[in-house]
Amino acid sequence: MAGKAGATPTTYTPSPKTQRKKPPIFKNDDVDWVRPDGRGFHQCRPAFFRTGAVNAAAGSAYAEFGNTKVIVSVFGPRESKKAMMYSDIGRLNCNVSYTTFATPIRGQGSDNKEFSSMLHKALEGAIMLETFPKTTVDVFALVLESGGSDLPVVISCASVALADAGIMMYDLVASVSVSCLGKNIVIDPVLEEESYQDGSLMITCMPSRYEVTQLTITGEWSTPKINEGMQLCLDACSKLANIMRSCLKEAASASDE
Amino acid sequence: MVSQLQAQDGVEGIGYPNSSGDLSSEMEVDAFRRLFPLRFFERHLSESIRPDGRPLGRARDTTLALGAVASANGSALVKIGLTTMLAAIKMEVMTPLKESPDEGCIAVEFHMPPICSPLVRPGRPAEVAPVVSKQFSGMIDLKDLSLVSGKAAWMAYLDIYCLDADGSLFDAALLSAVAAFSHLQIPVVSMNDEGRVIVVSEENDGGGDAVNKEKRKLRLCRTPISLTCILHKNYILADPTAEEESIMETLVTVVLDSSDQLVSLYKPGGPALAHTSSVQDCIALTRQRVKEVQTIFDETISGMEVD
Amino acid sequence: MEIDRIDGRTRNQLRPLACSRNVLNRAHGSASWSQGDTKVLAAVYGPKAGTKKNENPEKACIEVIWKAKTGQSAILKNFLMDLGKLEKEYEMILKRTLQSICILTVNPNTTTTIIVQVVHDDGALLPCAINAACAAFVDAGIPLKHLAGNKTYGCLQFIPLFKECFLTNALVCAVAICCGLVESGYVILDPTKLEEQKMKAFTYLVFPNSVLSVLPEGSLQEEGEPVEHGIITSVTQGAMGVDDYFHCLERGRATCEKMSAFLRRSLQPQTPK
Repeated sequence: MAGKAGATPTTYTPSPKTQRKKPPIFKNDDVDWVRPDGRGFHQCRPAFFRTGAVNAAAGSAYAEFGNTKVIVSVFGPRESKKAMMYSDIGRLNCNVSYTTFATPIRGQGSDNKEFSSMLHKALEGAIMLETFPKTTVDVFALVLESGGSDLPVVISCASVALADAGIMMYDLVASVSVSCLGKNIVIDPVLEEESYQDGSLMITCMPSRYEVTQLTITGEWSTPKINEGMQLCLDACSKLANIMRSCLKEAASASDE
Repeated sequence: MVSQLQAQDGVEGIGYPNSSGDLSSEMEVDAFRRLFPLRFFERHLSESIRPDGRPLGRARDTTLALGAVASANGSALVKIGLTTMLAAIKMEVMTPLKESPDEGCIAVEFHMPPICSPLVRPGRPAEVAPVVSKQFSGMIDLKDLSLVSGKAAWMAYLDIYCLDADGSLFDAALLSAVAAFSHLQIPVVSMNDEGRVIVVSEENDGGGDAVNKEKRKLRLCRTPISLTCILHKNYILADPTAEEESIMETLVTVVLDSSDQLVSLYKPGGPALAHTSSVQDCIALTRQRVKEVQTIFDETISGMEVD
Repeated sequence: MEIDRIDGRTRNQLRPLACSRNVLNRAHGSASWSQGDTKVLAAVYGPKAGTKKNENPEKACIEVIWKAKTGQSAILKNFLMDLGKLEKEYEMILKRTLQSICILTVNPNTTTTIIVQVVHDDGALLPCAINAACAAFVDAGIPLKHLAGNKTYGCLQFIPLFKECFLTNALVCAVAICCGLVESGYVILDPTKLEEQKMKAFTYLVFPNSVLSVLPEGSLQEEGEPVEHGIITSVTQGAMGVDDYFHCLERGRATCEKMSAFLRRSLQPQTPK
């Protein structure tokens, strides 16, 4: 605990000297470049899920995709706030926040309103809200370290946490994003790729029902590219859902013993 | 109320006097625990054991993992029982203050994100946020944080996040902070022509001399380690869980450093009074804990070096 | 050996104490308390119906609002802690201390608000605020625990006495230079802000008021020690030896009795309202 002044002095993160000269990860017309982590263009990062990360919560999950690390806790169902109107279906309350050290530059977006509402939209279609009338379920996410594709990881992790909490859902919700870089489409982009992207596409779906709960497209996309990107995402989602399901099964069989 | 309950300690059978003697024998343990938490605990305490199987003076299993967050310069994840803390340090550059041109700065912040406990809501900070920052005064020589006298110095941002709150938050927070400092790797930097500090990458250190080649680590002059105890009647319970903290409200936190100096003795009110003898007992338990934690520390660090 | 302090006091000497009750008209209870130049005003409102969320409705709830003196920097040397956080911490300590001396079961599901206004800070601020708050509680007639030798109140009341003592090192200036030098600490009481800054370490202690008891000797003992020797609140800053801490405790207790007497004197004359 140190330092003297009352007001916090302005500080900055020392930038690598080489940054200005650093070449972009691919050249404009290049189709055959190597991704920063050496993956193939259509290859996802290894996904890891674990339930029961937070004991104080009704259900929780930890997800790690490369350097992207998130924890999601689910609380409730609890009584809705008195000020709220009567509702015969349950409510969902979502919040996504970042740790101050999650991003390369300190303290960016500690409370992410945009992601919070996107998480809400992505999940609400999959949860059987009528199973908990008059009550609220809280879904809180904390991004411990941001390594790219944060929102899709948060959404997938949240659905595992909801399952861990025993909240009824039509299906697990898996989410994957792709980025468009020049002529290529890369799946599950890392932070560096996201900073160079021309456009991004994210799909959130329930693979067993083949239903999409959320689709967002930003940037410049041609129709064939959208189709290609969507197909990539949907395929990856069903694979991801299998990983999520096996994580839940493992946890369930471990607790049975 | 308390004395009334105490009077029944010797009485076989649980529940309230006379009326519920039968009920208690049929009542499930879990229900009894929820309905009469204090009686439940006192029954255990009279047998010198706690509901989780620990003797009164023993702390929960403690684990330590260094380098949990790659985006920070130093980080540590600490688990004491179920209580989980993540501490990370980010180094930034600032212009030192006029009155201390050779000193850097440390800013400590403790966060209770809504994921850690049902009592915390987004946008509403937790009421009981342990104040860890004070313990670091005098622990670090701020001159170690200087880069170029009067021009540039380090500002170390230490952020501690509680990931799972199950009692003894201060102890876990302090331990994670100390561990994060021991893991801290200060980047090698140099100053460019515009007076900005830039990172010298290891491959090409051409141009600009590194200003801090020798100062890659931050030395803690003393290592503060704490133990929180509950005072309840004549019992002293070390390292309480959240449930214990909510039932028996008198907490005493003792912080000792490695040279057995008392860094802090913190008791913010509470229904029970701390007498000299109980203060002495708390300090003795903390001494024991300091030894324990130091072993864990040494094991973790030597484990890191093997890798 | 007897080293005089800047203001000419001896080590064991307190600054002049002043306490006046019922200083505000609209509050249900109020008091001002000063120790030398440190002065704090406290006002009590309530109890009013209902408790705040997350509070136990089966007990009375106490809410503390700390108002710092505007335009005065309360930042301690070598601290980068913004004022807001320091105030929050003081609020929390004050709240917990008051909770432990009030009989919370008498008025369940009520909230009592106490507003603490710092008039001037010249060291020993927190103890001064605790004293002011206690006097204001007595003035408001909030039932307090333990007992006071004051029969004019319907219920047994008790005023906690806090005392603070500061531990200095005989070689204050030398501490930073020679690490781990021999502790030849002595204790001074009730330091001013200037003294506080030079202090190696200090501690705030809150003790129960010593009791003018009509009960038989020994009936108030707990673990073989008189009740007034038990610590209600202890806050320390800076590193000190364990023995030094106990030395502080002793000093604090001894001075406590004097302060008890002062409190009793200053609170009694006004009782018939």
